Amino acid sequence: MTILQKVKNFVRSRSIHVAYVDVGSCNGCDIEVLACLSPRYDIEQYGIFVHNNPREADILLVIGAYTPGWEEKLRGLWEKIPPPKAAIAIGNCPISGCLFARPHTLVDPPVAKHIPIAAQVPGCPPRPTEILSAILSVAPTIFADYEVKTK
Amino acid sequence: MALSLVAYIREFARVEWAKKFLAARTAPLVIPPYFRNYPELTGKTCTHHLFCMMACPAPGAIDVIRTPEGWQPRIHVGHCIRCGLCVEACPNGVLSSGRILESMFLDNTRLSFSFAITVDLDRCMGCGNCAVACPVNKLIDAQMSHGGRASTDDLLLKVSDGKCHVLHVEKCTGCKTCEHHCPNEAISVARLLEAVHSPEEEPWTS
Amino acid sequence: MKRTVDVSFPVGPVHPCWKEPARVKCETRGEYVVSAEVELGYMKKGIERIMKGRPWQEVMFLAERVCGICSVIHNMVFIEALEHISGIDVPRRAALLRVIVNELDRMQSHLLANFSYCYTIEHETLAMYLLDVREKVMDQLERITGARVTCAYIVPGGVRFDLRPEDAQALRLSLSAIGEEVMRYTDMFANGPLIALRSRGIGILTKEAAREAYAVGPTARASGLGDIDRRLRHPTYQSLGFSPIVRTEGDNYARIMVRFQEIAQSIGLIQKCLDELPAGPIRGGGIPGAGEIAYSMEAPRGELTYFVRTDAAGRVLEISIQTPSIMNIEACCHYMLTGVSSLADVTSTFVSSDPCIACTER
Repeated sequence: MTILQKVKNFVRSRSIHVAYVDVGSCNGCDIEVLACLSPRYDIEQYGIFVHNNPREADILLVIGAYTPGWEEKLRGLWEKIPPPKAAIAIGNCPISGCLFARPHTLVDPPVAKHIPIAAQVPGCPPRPTEILSAILSVAPTIFADYEVKTK
Repeated sequence: MALSLVAYIREFARVEWAKKFLAARTAPLVIPPYFRNYPELTGKTCTHHLFCMMACPAPGAIDVIRTPEGWQPRIHVGHCIRCGLCVEACPNGVLSSGRILESMFLDNTRLSFSFAITVDLDRCMGCGNCAVACPVNKLIDAQMSHGGRASTDDLLLKVSDGKCHVLHVEKCTGCKTCEHHCPNEAISVARLLEAVHSPEEEPWTS
Repeated sequence: MKRTVDVSFPVGPVHPCWKEPARVKCETRGEYVVSAEVELGYMKKGIERIMKGRPWQEVMFLAERVCGICSVIHNMVFIEALEHISGIDVPRRAALLRVIVNELDRMQSHLLANFSYCYTIEHETLAMYLLDVREKVMDQLERITGARVTCAYIVPGGVRFDLRPEDAQALRLSLSAIGEEVMRYTDMFANGPLIALRSRGIGILTKEAAREAYAVGPTARASGLGDIDRRLRHPTYQSLGFSPIVRTEGDNYARIMVRFQEIAQSIGLIQKCLDELPAGPIRGGGIPGAGEIAYSMEAPRGELTYFVRTDAAGRVLEISIQTPSIMNIEACCHYMLTGVSSLADVTSTFVSSDPCIACTER
């Protein structure tokens, strides 16, 4: 491994940009992601920066059970993210549809059918600490030696 | 402009702020004991009443399986919404989550189930599928004929005069087998959940 | 009427300032917004269709998941509607505990709304302060109910868990600390000259316009409509001597200040509840029966109405939910955003009306 690669690995594990997209949840997981920003959990002390711009993001947090309104949009949004990238499903909704996966529903879970999901954080909603530890454990393993892996 | 500068200096020149700024550390990320986490087994014996599955509002979140040690509830992470109703509904305290069991003991509350069966006589064709499929009927009268007719009146469901009749609703276990076997959606079982706080005990005061 | 439009400017659906997807289409002339229109439909899950034919213990959890921010009030309105249908009485202790949890939920919702506004006008310091206070409120909510967001605390005939003496003590201590902090931040917001530049006189909703648009909640109370608060008609709130907070400016500043004042008012209500809390049972029992009702209560964002029809076994046959945000979003687009002199104020004005897209579309 070259020194350049080592530097890249180090930087990538310390600077993770996160975008989140709500594809039809109840808002509960959204505000738990927001709560990660709070001084109590302080997501930025780990070098994670949350903003909503997919073009600058490394990690996409997918929240919600995939409603019909997102049919063409989620894929496009995923393709706008420059590699290396990963998507994390937050909450039960993108995993199983939670309470909405019933007869007569409009949603189409799981989200893994539509974009590749790297990790899942179960819970309805998950605690901010669970979201935080998921991002922290997924990011280094996915982004480490990215250039070597894709060669 | 000068005013705002003064305001900002006043905000950030406080000793309290400086202390916080220099010594800021987030608290270790622990889950508090009162959080209702995923239900865990307490080691008590499950008696297969299935009240946990009946109370559960999330599809596919809990099932009860047979293990070498006996019946055992199993929680499916990713479906479970951590509401804690299964913990409250269990008559034996097999599951525990957060402080729910402790609270139920202190408050002396209990969830109780009763069942109501309604037959829509306009839709009932008198086929007897429900009466034949019913596991309670099977225990009482294993000889029941395929039309749901029988000689005894101890049964839960029985077909007479071409319609299904509910005879002893108190015997129902709420399994909904009849509902699943009805070809015309005529019969439906309602699980009535009631939570009571026993009045004879000393109430918890603040 | 002939209009000169330079640019039709879309904001959203994924926008850094918005927590949920919605699109606002602004027709602009230079920086001046001529008219605005909202486009929804990214979050429609069909909750009411799922609810039909289900027993109340499942609908209760679905009702909570109509909106994750104000989940307690959805739970409360649905359960109280069922109680009115079947004539179930609630013990006084349980009724007061409901008010405590509901007001804690209102506090965290208002703090979140004010956080969003401060974040949108790029005052991150105050925003983070508010988010920190919100965590303290969430702690108390979790201590009482056992969950942070979807609490599932209110059941027919009472509440699920009792308030223990040590928790009541912790709640009292925490409330006075929260009260002091909120007072300090209110002062910061009210007297900050840079905040005033972005808030005062922007996005004005006059009293007549608010009445015309059927604005509800803090949005309407900031425009001088006080009598629309449904808490005035709730027996428990009546017994606590509740009176709504009204401001008359009708701009962004007033809407945020109304929320700050309501947080202080909620703290007072909770302390009053804690003082009056009698000993006694918290669950009276009772099985929901058949009937039909339209029941309203005041959610953090305004009036929330449930139309429910049940059968004899407590199954929900028909249900229809009217949430507050739809009125506020329309009022925001047709009255507040028209005449905003800068495109930069579009997001902050929209956020100041505290839109909740998940409630609106369900």
